[in-house]
Amino acid sequence: MFQQRTGLVKSLLRQWQLQSMVIPGIIWMFIFCYIPMLWLIIGFMDYSIAKPMLQSPFVGLKHFEEFIGDDRFWRSIRNTLGMSAIKLVFGFPIPIFFALLLNEIRSIRFKRTVQTISYLPHFIAWTIFGGIMLNWLGEGGVMNQLMMGLGIQEREILYNSDPKYFWWITYFSDVLKETGWSAIIYIAAIAGIDPALYEAAELDGANRWQRMWHITVQSIRPTIAILFILAVAGMLGSNFEQIFMLKNNMNMRMAESLDLYIYNMGLVSGRHSFSTAVLFARSIVALGLLFLANYMSKKLTGDSIF
Amino acid sequence: MKRNRMKQSIVMALALIMVLSLAACTGSKNNENQPTSQPSNSSQPPAGEATPNPEVPAWQLDTSPVELSWFVGASWYPHSWGESLASKYVTEKTGVNIKLEVPSGEANEHITLMMTSGKLPDIITMGSWENAVKKLWEGDFVYALNELADQYDPYFYKVAGDGTLKWYRQENGNTYGIPNDSYSPNLMHETGMTAANQTFLVRKDLYEEMGTPNLSTPEGFLSALQLLKDKYPEYKGQPISPFFAQGNVPYGMTEYLQNLLAIPHEKDGKVYDRITDPDYIAWLKTFRTAYERGLINVDFLVDSDTQVEEKTNNARYFMMVREWNGMAAVNPMLAASANPESYYVAVDGPQNSRGDSAKLFPGNMDGWMVTMISKNTKHPERAIRFLSYLASEEGQRDLFLGKEGETWDMVDGKPTLKPEMVDLLSNDIEKLEKEYGVMDTYWMVRNPVIINQWRPEKAPVLKQMEDFANAQADIDSGIYKGLDPLGDSDVAVAWARISQNWEEVMPELITAKDEATFDKVFESFLARRDSYGFDKVLEFRQAELDVRKAKMAE
Repeated sequence: MFQQRTGLVKSLLRQWQLQSMVIPGIIWMFIFCYIPMLWLIIGFMDYSIAKPMLQSPFVGLKHFEEFIGDDRFWRSIRNTLGMSAIKLVFGFPIPIFFALLLNEIRSIRFKRTVQTISYLPHFIAWTIFGGIMLNWLGEGGVMNQLMMGLGIQEREILYNSDPKYFWWITYFSDVLKETGWSAIIYIAAIAGIDPALYEAAELDGANRWQRMWHITVQSIRPTIAILFILAVAGMLGSNFEQIFMLKNNMNMRMAESLDLYIYNMGLVSGRHSFSTAVLFARSIVALGLLFLANYMSKKLTGDSIF
Repeated sequence: MKRNRMKQSIVMALALIMVLSLAACTGSKNNENQPTSQPSNSSQPPAGEATPNPEVPAWQLDTSPVELSWFVGASWYPHSWGESLASKYVTEKTGVNIKLEVPSGEANEHITLMMTSGKLPDIITMGSWENAVKKLWEGDFVYALNELADQYDPYFYKVAGDGTLKWYRQENGNTYGIPNDSYSPNLMHETGMTAANQTFLVRKDLYEEMGTPNLSTPEGFLSALQLLKDKYPEYKGQPISPFFAQGNVPYGMTEYLQNLLAIPHEKDGKVYDRITDPDYIAWLKTFRTAYERGLINVDFLVDSDTQVEEKTNNARYFMMVREWNGMAAVNPMLAASANPESYYVAVDGPQNSRGDSAKLFPGNMDGWMVTMISKNTKHPERAIRFLSYLASEEGQRDLFLGKEGETWDMVDGKPTLKPEMVDLLSNDIEKLEKEYGVMDTYWMVRNPVIINQWRPEKAPVLKQMEDFANAQADIDSGIYKGLDPLGDSDVAVAWARISQNWEEVMPELITAKDEATFDKVFESFLARRDSYGFDKVLEFRQAELDVRKAKMAE
């Protein structure tokens, strides 16, 4: 044990140039993730920004009781989970497929071009991308023209007015925008696989499918596991900007996610304590989900974060 | 081996996540973290400065260069200071250079952030209805203007107008902000200029070709829509959207529609629950019928601002519940387009069963936005002097008309915009505002009493709508505007829940499959409203109204 410890210190010292690169990240995390945690205390107060923090009265669990008794809160939980589940089940594998397919392309130039094009939409802000989506889904939009051209529907449908489409709209727009970007991490993992493995497999007579499955997929399995665990832990989160752009009065029933609920019921009226209380509760549940997903992954695949 | 690979991927994943979140952070927070510029050369008043004279504008005492930051709480505000002729002229004259800041998103959130970080700009202009205004006042973030005026510039009292100062006076006797576009009922009665915006608009050529149908009764409304559907689903090559309501449910289909129906705000001294008025419900049912028959679509409840803009610019709406000043740029453009008759005209819209004409909101004492001086400023004396200069007739003229001889001339003793400016006003308003910065470019302390006398005659396509609105304005109803509780008090939260629920219920009402369903949905809304605490909201409205009446009587 002791041996190991000194070995660690030694190698840390030896790599100090490399190790120091992480310092800005740690400082950033400390300032933006750890210090704000102290402010969770306002979730138990009637905090007013006009006064110093500790002068606000403590109200115990008042805010927690309030949102737990609010049917709209539970509706927003349902919507968030629904949208996350769709994204997790149908959306999570897509970047993996994409990365695998891309990996099979032999022409480097073509591969690079496809990759670049595919992650470009990531850099378009949701405010703009959402606007584009709304136009596509509108009366004269691409979607209606396509469906009517194919004879699937007879007259225009306002896709964005029907709550039942909303979850799928968020799913498709998310896939459209983020697939290329999310694939980067898998592509990076694939690039790290030792080519000798492929060569050996080829000598042993493995065909391309077998190589893809037995070498590529197995090699990136830990990466997949980590991202999956993190995705499960993030199930109570949603893409606020996306939903904010796409929601309207007609689809609100299915669109109001937990984030939007916090915005509508908390921030709009300047109720910082209430918003903090909801967020605090959400973080606790997210932590529980993280442990759960981690445990399951450890049991099922042997890969886990901790 | 496996463990190792695991570690590697963890590191990689975390590194990537870190990079991504960092990037996201710098992307969105960029604007908010920008420190407000601090003026570099501080100009403390010289020790031996003369005692302020209430008859003389105090800005003349000190015209050394100074920079003040000015927050304008409107994310869409497109102008800057220092490039246009009017702003250069004002800076030259007073020495005050302005650095304009606008919020990147919601003004309320932006100013709240600045409040918590203690980095408020020198001067703040915010919508008078915003929560943050109250917080700024109550949290002592801004100077009491009367105190500043006593100390540095008593001339302020002369120009700020006693009425408005009184209107915004708080319980502690201080006034923290001055409004723009504030109208007193007396003034409106005197001049006939009511600042009423609400109109019911139809596309002129289509309306006339349809034989100017009567849209004021449910029957007429429905049969006009039927005619539109049968004969004009496309008109002059464009698909037509039958109906639009501005501000969606909470405004266009509620308060605004109620005003068109002349539904009273008050009955026997008690605030009236307008949403339950039989005439209003009858019209909502008319909309439901129209939807059931496929005569209107729900696009007006769904479309984003850009989609609405696109349809408006192409005159694709047949009728609109819409403020006419929102059409100020579009209507002349349509009138100059290939279809010169495709612009919009105001006509009588939905009316109540007695056929009363509409009772539209006029301008009111609250005005539009209020301007304050923050305690973070290093130059309170320059700020108050600059503010009182802007509020004075001289300042109003300098900003509204620009520089004499360059943008305006004295004609028969009356300042008059040069013809080329008037020309720009109707043809290239963008150039007018960018290069000259006159007229409505810098509206932060615009006082309609002063500047309206200098306005050139409006183009006929605008004047028709304005006159129509003025004629139907209910001058004494300004007092009923915005009675609802705001902020984070219990009653305000109750009201937020109720109004947000109404936004969801209204579309359900319009798309209800039959009248029985409509009634059921409406009933359950009323029940939910009560359970959210509607009685407290009513009490609040009543109390607020009583306070306003007392102030008005003063």
